[in-house]
Amino acid sequence: SGPSGDGVGAPRPLYMDVQATTPLDPRVLDSMLPYLTAYYGNPHSRTHAYGWESEAAMEKARQQVADLIGADSREIIFTSGATESNNMAIKGVARFYKSRKKHIITTQTEHKCVLDSCRSLEAEGFRVTYLPVKKNGIIDLKELEAAFQPDTSLVSVMTVNNEIGVKQPVGDIGEICRAHKVFFHTDAAQAVGKIPVDVNNMKIDLMSISGHKIYGPKGVGAIYVRRRPRVRLEPLQSGGGQERGLRSGTVPTPLAVGLGAACEVAQQEMEYDHKRVSQLAERLVTNIMSEVPDVVMNGDKEHRYPGCINLSFAYVEGESLLMALKDVALSSGSACTSASLEPSYVLRAIGTDEDLAHSSIRFGIGRFTTEEEVDYTVRKCIQHVRRLREMSPLWEMVQDGVDLKSIKWTQH
Amino acid sequence: PRGAALLPQVVDHYENPRNVGSLDRNSKNVGTGLVGAPACGDVMKLQVEVDEHGKIVDARFKTFGCGSAIASSSLATEWVKGKTVDEALKIKNTDIAKELCLPPVKLHCSMLAEDAIKAALADYKLKQDPNREEAEKKA
Repeated sequence: SGPSGDGVGAPRPLYMDVQATTPLDPRVLDSMLPYLTAYYGNPHSRTHAYGWESEAAMEKARQQVADLIGADSREIIFTSGATESNNMAIKGVARFYKSRKKHIITTQTEHKCVLDSCRSLEAEGFRVTYLPVKKNGIIDLKELEAAFQPDTSLVSVMTVNNEIGVKQPVGDIGEICRAHKVFFHTDAAQAVGKIPVDVNNMKIDLMSISGHKIYGPKGVGAIYVRRRPRVRLEPLQSGGGQERGLRSGTVPTPLAVGLGAACEVAQQEMEYDHKRVSQLAERLVTNIMSEVPDVVMNGDKEHRYPGCINLSFAYVEGESLLMALKDVALSSGSACTSASLEPSYVLRAIGTDEDLAHSSIRFGIGRFTTEEEVDYTVRKCIQHVRRLREMSPLWEMVQDGVDLKSIKWTQH
Repeated sequence: PRGAALLPQVVDHYENPRNVGSLDRNSKNVGTGLVGAPACGDVMKLQVEVDEHGKIVDARFKTFGCGSAIASSSLATEWVKGKTVDEALKIKNTDIAKELCLPPVKLHCSMLAEDAIKAALADYKLKQDPNREEAEKKA
C-alpha cells in the first residue's frame, strides 16, 4: 500500500520508468545518512569542525564525480540538477561571450530545459540553429559542420536521449567543435554512469550531470566546466561566491555526498550493469515483437543505450495502453512534457507518423530490474495490446484490407 | 492530466467492456458513425441497430484513444440503447463528461462521443430515405 496509509490495497506497480527517475542505491543512502543526522555542518563554515568535516565530505564527493568522467575535481561544480546545469552552460556561456559571439547550435531532440534556455536566449537577441536529426534519431555530422558561423559560441548536443535512448556521436562532435574552436556542451544526464564518458577523449568542454538518474538523490547534479582551455561562463545565481563563483549557495553536503557515492558505485558497476541491462532489453524487445505484429522501435537499433526502449504499437493509443498496464509504472515519452496534449516532439523530429507518435510507450530497464519484472511486463503488454487492438476501429479496418491513409478523417 | 486514466469509472469501461464490437454495416437497420482522426490520437466508431419502431435495440463501439475516450464511447453505447433515434440525438457531451467526472483536459473525448452518436444516427437516417440519398449524391 502507498504512503497514504490505506493499509490494505493493491501491491505497488513494478517500476519500469528509470529514465524519469531512479531509486536510491542502498549504498548511496548509507553514505548520506551521517550527513543527514550527525554531521550537519555547512561546508563553507571555516571556523569549526562541523564545517571542516562537511567540506571534506563535499570535496571527496567532488573527486568521485570527477573520476567517473575523467575530469579534474576543480572542474566539477555542484548544482541542483541537470536542468540547472543545462541553464548554466547554455545561458552562462552565451552571455559571457556575447560581445563577439551571438550564435548557438543545438538539436531538435534536446531536453526541454536545453530548448527552453535557447528560446530565452533568442529573446535576448541570440541566434540559435536547431539541427534536425535523421530518422534514426542521430544528427548528421555534415549538417553540424555546415551550421557553424563565424560567431558561434557553443554547440549543445545531448549524449543519450531520454525518450528514445539514442546515443549521439559525441566523440566526433567534440572533434568538429575543437576544429572550429567552439565550446561543446553535452547534457549527459542519461549517459553518465551508464556508458563510459571521458571529457578528454571526447573533447567535451561542459557537461551536465543528474543525481537522480544514476541511483543518487533528487535535487542535486553537477556541471563539468573545462579549465584547459578555460571555459568562462556568467553565473546564473549570485551570492557568496561558492563553487568558484559560478554557483553561489550552500552546497547541500548530504546530497553532494550522495551524488559522489552514486558516481563511484556506477563506475564500479558500469560493465556489469550494462551487460545485464542489455540482456534484459533484448529479452523484452524480442519477446514482445515475436508475439505482436506492427510494433516499431523508435531510434537507432545500434547506437543506443539499451535500457531505454521506446516502442510504438500501431493502432493502439499509448495512454490507453498505460492505463491497461496499470500494475507496471511506464510512460509514453518524457515525463516533463506530459502536461501537454501534443505527442512527443522527439518522435516528431525522427519523422514518426502522427498516429504512431500517439502509440508509443517507453520501457526503462535499470540496475534493479529483474528478469521476472521484464517477463511480467512483456506478458501484460502482449495481452493488453491484443485486447486494445480488438477494441480498435483502426485495427479492424486494416484487417479488412483498408488503407488507413486513404480515409478522409473528420476533424473536430 | 494522467490522473484521469486512473479514475475508477474510466478504468471500469476498459476492464469490464460492454458493447465492444461491430454490427453489420451493410444492414439497412444499422447506422455507422466514424469520427476523429489517427493523427489526433482519437478515433471512434459507433454503430446502432434500430428496429421498425425507431427504437435503438443494439449498439456497438470501437475506439482508438485514451482511457477517457474509450469510456466516453462505451458510455455512449450504453445510453443510446432503448432510446428512440430522436431521444438519442439529445445526448449531450456535458452529460457524458459529468457521468465520468472527466477533467477539462479530457472534455474533447466526450465531445467526440457525442459526434459519434450523431454520425451513427445520421448514417441510419440516410439509409432509410433513398430520395434524400439521391439528393445528397447530387449535392
